[in-house]
Amino acid sequence: MRPRLLPSIAIFFVVISIADAALPEQTVWSGLIIASNSPPTEPTPAEITQIEATLRKLFGYSQFQLIGEARKTLKTGEEDWLASSKYFSLQVDSRGEKADAYVLNLKLFQEQKLLLETRAKLSKASPLVIRGPQVGDGQLVIVLVVQ
Amino acid sequence: MKTLEEKWTAWIDDQLTGRELEEFLASLPDRAAAESEKQSAKQLGSFLREQALVLNNADFFSHQLRERLDRESGSGRSERDTAQTGWWTIRRLLWGGITSLAVFAFCTVVVLREKTPPSQSQYLTEILTYRVDPTVSPNATISMFQKKEDHVTVLWVDGLQSLPAEYATK
Repeated sequence: MRPRLLPSIAIFFVVISIADAALPEQTVWSGLIIASNSPPTEPTPAEITQIEATLRKLFGYSQFQLIGEARKTLKTGEEDWLASSKYFSLQVDSRGEKADAYVLNLKLFQEQKLLLETRAKLSKASPLVIRGPQVGDGQLVIVLVVQ
Repeated sequence: MKTLEEKWTAWIDDQLTGRELEEFLASLPDRAAAESEKQSAKQLGSFLREQALVLNNADFFSHQLRERLDRESGSGRSERDTAQTGWWTIRRLLWGGITSLAVFAFCTVVVLREKTPPSQSQYLTEILTYRVDPTVSPNATISMFQKKEDHVTVLWVDGLQSLPAEYATK
């Protein structure tokens, strides 16, 4: 009995440990969105459906069109990536994890011009919304969400 | 009437007296040799008596001896048993190693989990610093606020240069 029990316990712990160790990886979604009141041409991106009502209240627009996005799985918490459209790009540089949030350096470019630079602590339960420049009859909105 | 052997034994033990002693001594063919033999017999007797005294403790020595033999044979047996059963066989060493690794992995995960905060944070996103290039956007102003009821943090930039609709292209 005992010689078989010991290996079973050992295997159980190894399996639990491996399964548990794999959990912490998380994905950050970054989106460049044009908010407008134009007739909808595309459905609202699934990533912002949870905050769509908040965006409507904030900006007074009813439609949200995704023009650029990036999804990055953070393994070390120190990765960088780019979400871009034809004219805009958002450069994200993750500087590690602190108190349940990722410290991100963000740079918003309009082609080669740096429009905005910010450093934020992106919480896992709280999206970040950035109001960009006016584009036509709409507004550029940047959204970052930890998924 | 005593035989010659009985008289000899009695003489050795100094139990012949009087006329009986005289008759016995007279019957001896070589008295000096007989006296020498008597002395030897007496010495042998006293030696045997001494040994008999020593052997009065025979049980004690026997017990000590038995215990010692038991101890020696016992330890010999246990060594032999250990060698035969061989607790640290390759198989057990292997399982011991696996168990140790499992315990180590488990402890590591526990420590890492304590360092990793729970995924459902109560904290809102914070803006630490922000900046616009004054040469590119001289009229830009920035403010930030948190919509706690919606769990959203907003960085509100005003005064950036407006762009034509074609900039909304994917």
